[in-house]
Amino acid sequence: MKIKHWILLRKALQGLALIGFLALFLAAPLRSWSMQTINLPMRLDPLAMLAQSLASRSFVAGSALAIGVIVLTLVFGRSWCGWLCPLGTVLDLFPSKKASRSSSGEPYRLGPRGSWRRWKYILLLVILGMALFGSLTLLFLDPLTILERSLTAAIWPALDRMVTAAETVLVRVPFLEEPIMKFDALVRPILLPERFIYSRSAVLFAFILAGIIALNMVARRFWCRYLCPLGGFLGFLSKFALFRRRVSEDCKGCKLCFTACPTGTIDPENGYASDPAECTLCLDCLEACPRSDITVNLEPVLGPWKPDYDPSRRQVLYSLAAAATSVAIFRSDWLHLQPSPFQVRPPGSIESELMSHCVRCAECLRACPTGALQPAISEAGIEGLWTPILLPRLGYCDFACNACGQVCPTQAIPALSLEEKQTQVIGKAYIDENRCIAWADHTDCIVCEEMCPLPEKAIQLDEQQVTLSDGSQKTIKLPHVLRERCIGCGICEYKCPLVGEAAIRVRVSAQG
Amino acid sequence: MSKLSRRNFIRTLAASAGAVALSPVLAGCQPNQNPATSEPTQPAAESQLAESTSTQALNSPTQTSPVPCSGSDSQPCDTPSTSPVEMAAPTEQVKEPAEPAQPSAGIPDLAVARGGEPEDLVRRALAALGGIERFVKKDARVIIKPNICTDYHTYEYATTTNPWVVGALVKLAWEAGAKTVQVMDTGFGGSPKSGYDRSGIQEQVELAGGEMVVMPSFKYVSSPIPDGRDIKEWEFYEDILNADMLINVPIAKDHGSTRLTLGMKNLMGVVLNRGGLHANLGQRIADITSRIRPGLTVIDAVRILTANGPTGGNLDDVKKLDTVIASPDIVAADSYATRLFDLKPDDIRYIVAAADMGLGRKDVENMVISEV
Repeated sequence: MKIKHWILLRKALQGLALIGFLALFLAAPLRSWSMQTINLPMRLDPLAMLAQSLASRSFVAGSALAIGVIVLTLVFGRSWCGWLCPLGTVLDLFPSKKASRSSSGEPYRLGPRGSWRRWKYILLLVILGMALFGSLTLLFLDPLTILERSLTAAIWPALDRMVTAAETVLVRVPFLEEPIMKFDALVRPILLPERFIYSRSAVLFAFILAGIIALNMVARRFWCRYLCPLGGFLGFLSKFALFRRRVSEDCKGCKLCFTACPTGTIDPENGYASDPAECTLCLDCLEACPRSDITVNLEPVLGPWKPDYDPSRRQVLYSLAAAATSVAIFRSDWLHLQPSPFQVRPPGSIESELMSHCVRCAECLRACPTGALQPAISEAGIEGLWTPILLPRLGYCDFACNACGQVCPTQAIPALSLEEKQTQVIGKAYIDENRCIAWADHTDCIVCEEMCPLPEKAIQLDEQQVTLSDGSQKTIKLPHVLRERCIGCGICEYKCPLVGEAAIRVRVSAQG
Repeated sequence: MSKLSRRNFIRTLAASAGAVALSPVLAGCQPNQNPATSEPTQPAAESQLAESTSTQALNSPTQTSPVPCSGSDSQPCDTPSTSPVEMAAPTEQVKEPAEPAQPSAGIPDLAVARGGEPEDLVRRALAALGGIERFVKKDARVIIKPNICTDYHTYEYATTTNPWVVGALVKLAWEAGAKTVQVMDTGFGGSPKSGYDRSGIQEQVELAGGEMVVMPSFKYVSSPIPDGRDIKEWEFYEDILNADMLINVPIAKDHGSTRLTLGMKNLMGVVLNRGGLHANLGQRIADITSRIRPGLTVIDAVRILTANGPTGGNLDDVKKLDTVIASPDIVAADSYATRLFDLKPDDIRYIVAAADMGLGRKDVENMVISEV
């Protein structure tokens, strides 16, 4: 096989992996595929799986898939990054600043100095250190969670709005009405939500993804070189990889491979050697090499190789100390003692289990058909950043849905059957009688009672005589919550017709 | 200044559009979703498959109807072996959906069919009203509006319209020579698609050759309500307003604030901002009805939900009545249906309001009722 065919194969695999990731992303709310298929990308992620095993001191059977990626890395180095990682492929799709020669003809290296590459290892060590102390907070830096979260919270809702806006205009054009309706009936059920989805911090998540892409303009694959903790993890393993890039003796120093390398790891000052911890085996250097048959080879090498960056014992200890301190500070925060009364968790979640298993992958946010699950900001304490909570004003827990528990790759949300989920208490509804239309304004409303999905409704209407300001009497239906029945699904809060905050709100049960 | 290349221009444009589209995502942290009017369905508790087997339609409208045609129809109605096409002609007056067919001598105001399979009930009731051809013209674009309020339960729970009742109407519409037959509703619990599926209506409609349509948000238009007393304008689903014939197929159910959800309440499924209607629900339902005016209302009372409506979920609250009520007068149909719950039309505020606006009659005792 010629080198250009290998490159084609790599690009095809990259494309397939990205399309596969997007297909699973799109299919998540459809319920037509097994949820254990939907969460496959996360279960392949060795960093997330290792960290949650450390934090929870347990092994989730589904996470064994990640061992495959570890084995892959032990054979082919960081080939995950060059051949499979969907975020890496996204970065490859965008324009980037490539290494070139300076005006004097000397090779010109892009981006911060090579020593900055250690940041990804430091991040990795801090993440694993925090996991060891029970906190998974920093897993929001994992590349797969970043992509999933940004697509879920920002990109897809925005795309839906753009498509819907175009449809709204075009459907009024007489001869386009039928095609547009056909298009919508065909595309919306698969690709787009049936109604607008709103997400918390949409702009922030858009900026995070945009920022990572923008760093491409400083240096190609900046994220993968300097920051990606998963890249750092695989880089460590690559130290023992079987296949490595090797430059043969008769290299003439043409520098073409140096300018071609997407991670900038080829060092002209060191005989054009590369660091296996940085090399993604993308093979671009082989393609660039005018004498590729003989000069650059990938061949098995036995025995460890000393990488550019080998964390010293001191740095490991510093990182662990930083991790321990961070966790201790997070837990010293007042929010840790007194979480928000609105910290309503997905059905069946036990707080300690959720905190020690949740890898912030956002799969549950994506699978939630009503957009009710949203990333926590401070509700669950600093440590609980971006863990899932139910925000009933944005959506409700659908009585006929149990997707979140099914899709969770780490069992942070237990996989309940629909029958179990329908009796699972996640919170309790409380009526604000100072704002409720019926209680405060003496006007019949009862939307909350109507919406309550329970076979024995948890909201009852009591007819009462009230005296209006003009002295007249009026019979009015006043809603009451029968707390022992309420499961806290939040549809009453979602549908409450008041502007702004609802007059009926779901809280964590006051009795705890 | 460097020249802006076309590629860069397009990229900049796309980025700007993305930013504009994104801003409402953040700004709009307040969803506009509101309660709907419909109901849900659940696992088969009893072997209900028998319902689908009712093939021997007694009074198929394609056959000569035993009931004389509407007197307002100019065509003779006693022509033997009338083909559906010919039968379609006499229905000129139904052309305008805003004006329901006027009852006239010999034609009952309302028909009630009792006992039998759902499809049979529908066919008998329609035959008693003078045949489907009175309502569905040849080449008419027909929309059928069942109640599919949630995706919680299957049809045995009497929260969504009986699938075979809807299927029968689809068949009847085709038999009358309809050009298109669409079935649609937007509920309030779960997605419309999952509701279509769970209720069993999707299956029966497709078996009958009809089309289930999910109502996209961009198809709603703001429309004046000239006769509205409380609201003068609201957002309606455009196709519902423009249909040649709208057949309203509610299920009779208990409902917290209005006491019962029947034909008029069912129309809330085709408007936006339903939460906004609740402030003065009785009058506002009547106002909405004055704008939509379905040409035919068929109330499914094969099973009724007597408590914990409209969402249901408890089989103890379900009563099997094997009854279908049909009338071109939506107020009359709703008024009659109150009897099933031992109530009176005057107990239901939207019936009182609609009768007061002249949208139909609520004096059940004076109506010509054909019981078949």
